[in-house]
Amino acid sequence: MKEALASYILRKLKKGGADDIVVSMTESTNNQIKFSNNKISTTKTWEALSLSVLIAMKKKLVTTTIKDFSTKAADKTVARLLELVKNTEENKGYMGIATGPFRYKKIDGLYDRNVGKLKESAVDIVDGCINQALKEKAQRTAGLLEVTGTENYLLTSGGVEAGAKATALYFSIRALAEKDASGHQTLVGRTLQRFKPERAAKKAAEYAVNARNPKKCNPGKFDCVFDHIPAANMLMHVGESASIFNVEAALSFLEGKKGKEVASDKVTIHDDATKKDGLASSIYDAEGVPTKKNVLIQGGVLKTYLHNTSTAKRYNTKTTANAGLIAPEPTNIVLKKGNKSVDEMIKEVRKGFFITNTWYTRFQSYQTGDFSTIPRDAIFYIENGRIKHPVKEIRVTENMLNLLHNINGVGNDQQQVYGWEVGIPVFTSPILVKNVRVTTSTT
Amino acid sequence: MTKELAEFSIAYLQKKGADYVEARAEQTDQNTFILKNGNLEVGGFESFSGIGIRFLIKNTLGFVSTNDMTKAKLKSLLNSALKTTIKAGPITENVELAQEKVHKKRYKVQQKIALPDVDTKEKIAMLFDTEKALQNTGATLPGRFISLSDSLTTEYLVTSEGTRIEATVPKEGYYYILTLREGTRRSQHFWSYGASGGWEQALKWDMENTLSNEAKLLQKNLKYGIKPPKQNIDLICAPQVAGIMVHESGGHPYEADRIFGREAAQAGESFIDESMIGYQIGSEVVNIVDDPTIPGSYGFYLYDNEGVKARRKNLVVNGKINEFLHNRETAAKMGLPSNGSSRATDYDKESIVRMSNTFILPGRMSEDELIGGVKKGIYMKSFTEWNIDDKRIHQKYVGAESYLIENGKITKPVLSPALEISSFELWKKIDAVAKNFELHAGSCGKGEPMQAVPVFFGGPSIRIRGVRLR
Repeated sequence: MKEALASYILRKLKKGGADDIVVSMTESTNNQIKFSNNKISTTKTWEALSLSVLIAMKKKLVTTTIKDFSTKAADKTVARLLELVKNTEENKGYMGIATGPFRYKKIDGLYDRNVGKLKESAVDIVDGCINQALKEKAQRTAGLLEVTGTENYLLTSGGVEAGAKATALYFSIRALAEKDASGHQTLVGRTLQRFKPERAAKKAAEYAVNARNPKKCNPGKFDCVFDHIPAANMLMHVGESASIFNVEAALSFLEGKKGKEVASDKVTIHDDATKKDGLASSIYDAEGVPTKKNVLIQGGVLKTYLHNTSTAKRYNTKTTANAGLIAPEPTNIVLKKGNKSVDEMIKEVRKGFFITNTWYTRFQSYQTGDFSTIPRDAIFYIENGRIKHPVKEIRVTENMLNLLHNINGVGNDQQQVYGWEVGIPVFTSPILVKNVRVTTSTT
Repeated sequence: MTKELAEFSIAYLQKKGADYVEARAEQTDQNTFILKNGNLEVGGFESFSGIGIRFLIKNTLGFVSTNDMTKAKLKSLLNSALKTTIKAGPITENVELAQEKVHKKRYKVQQKIALPDVDTKEKIAMLFDTEKALQNTGATLPGRFISLSDSLTTEYLVTSEGTRIEATVPKEGYYYILTLREGTRRSQHFWSYGASGGWEQALKWDMENTLSNEAKLLQKNLKYGIKPPKQNIDLICAPQVAGIMVHESGGHPYEADRIFGREAAQAGESFIDESMIGYQIGSEVVNIVDDPTIPGSYGFYLYDNEGVKARRKNLVVNGKINEFLHNRETAAKMGLPSNGSSRATDYDKESIVRMSNTFILPGRMSEDELIGGVKKGIYMKSFTEWNIDDKRIHQKYVGAESYLIENGKITKPVLSPALEISSFELWKKIDAVAKNFELHAGSCGKGEPMQAVPVFFGGPSIRIRGVRLR
């Protein structure tokens, strides 16, 4: 059905004079169980059909997304697109879409038929996780379990025809022990086999219990060990900044830095849409180009920006298979593993913090990379290589390039992070960052 | 068909034993245009209809949505959701809903210039005219990102109690990011405009002049700005800055679902608890309201997504915590009626407790009088980076266009003054609010999946005594 409709739309748009056409159709099903105060707050089930079309005519670009797979809706959409494209202006930077067909290499572990069978048994998983956290002496828990299934079909005037099925699992749990004592963990994956949310529940509770009776502290410069979630929270901005769209829009701290040192030599970061279990993994990008593993930063040096076919042509380079048709987009950001455990990194800190979560990261300027973020949940003060006591009410006020340059250690325990504050999947280990500026309320 | 499906869902779920059902059918048409550095990147439209159904069965909440508008699909989804919801029953929160009046109402926001009648070329021209005006300012602007969008949404809400609300609301939004350079100094400013109504609302913004004036002033700020003073000083925040403060620290903490912990793993909790009604959080000049009924506002509605009639909510009266924002679930927990604060961004999201248009009520002094009463201080007209912790206590605001005040007069530009302050201090240190008044548009995030609802925030200029800036 999808194939026939996409083909129908493509034919009609070609006949209408469109030069380039991309038709993408997605069916998705989501089941979510949200809990708070150790009880299920609500259960949600939502299904969606989504039909996205991009056309280019004489370098004028228009797009649409409708949520209707009927021929009637398709006819109306085609007419509107052709009308709109006549009235719009040329995108001077537009250079076309990819020319296929392409052969795609299978990526293991992106689809698990058992995920779709979970249905109401997801309630038992949530119940088990709440009980696990309570067993570890958490007083309250909140979070959710979400199960997703998607099926996409892509057809382009560049000769691309591709399709993919995917499943995803996302679990988030915040455990609260006492006033001002909490721990938060997330877990994501594509298959049930490696999805162990009870471990996340246990760790969140352990953090919460250990964070009881936090103290305030003075501002200053500190060496900080950032656990998986806060490390991911910061590293996802490397992915965003690497998109050539953001570079051109002055929204990237990586602007003008290609071939230059942007991080310490301990930092190697890939954008990898082929990563097993990666939430953003896919065999093809939005224009149907087979995805690949791109080196963004190698030993601290910025190697490439992220491109689609059009932007790559403009810069006389090859696409990195990161379409986004208008703006190239990061997929899975992967920080290469180091060789240290968290304990070893903590031992290296004379005066600093172990930060297990951050929230509300906001930039003063995406171009300069000046930002601040608020550590939340369990924060621990470290003195002479040992955790002394939990801490509260601090803010990290930093510059992204400084922070990347000051990464002095990368952990050996890599996890995929995604969640409310981390909108791009990041595979990261904990990191040790020297000389991090910490501020507090002045009044 | 959508109305018919909404009615069908109610009947079907009641037959299956649901104690309460609400169905919300929605049709939305939206247009967006993006201009980056003078190049029209793309124009586009979205059009969708769908239905979201929330039900209560044995005190357990369930939610279903789809845009596959067939009875067969809906039945299958509802059956599947019922199984999960019933299974969740033994470990679910015991949800009760406050009793509310049944309403039957149809309302439509009037458009003087109807959105469907506005030529695409005119919308695109608005972007290019702004670009041209920016080029003529003489400011060094290496980055200019502007987007313009409009939408027309019709929602039909039906509940098993008999409520029937049909609402048609058109909206426009304008968002921009300006990047400025002056020698080695660089700055960036993000802001939005938004309204409900016809195209006449977008024309009122006069973006050509608004943006070019702003660019000139920001450039001047970057060129001549000095560092902020280190000692304790007074701070006057103009409506944009007072607006973000009231949204973050005077609005969010009053959302009752946060207070009861329902958002603990998402948007966070609150420093306020149930017992704090009557607590003196601010000085007597501080009065904070949330009011969805303001004509033309970005957060406009007359009935919320549970069919409760909207009204002004007096969150803080003379500095005292007076009222929280409630939906029917949180209101029932406190033995109160809902005050109509339940909103969902789209048909496919559950409605939760949200702000609408949140602002500080104006006072009697002029802004000049506020400034006149400051020996040494800062006037913060607009801001850039900001954030606040998840209990809404410690917050930060960094000034964009800012000036030094010396002996009651604005003297020179100041570069990026940063205030980090606690909610317990902020509102108590306000000694005067002016009579000027502005409301600004923003997008407020909450829930999971994330729901970014359009809101207004604002108020008058406010004077905060004795703060230390960085």
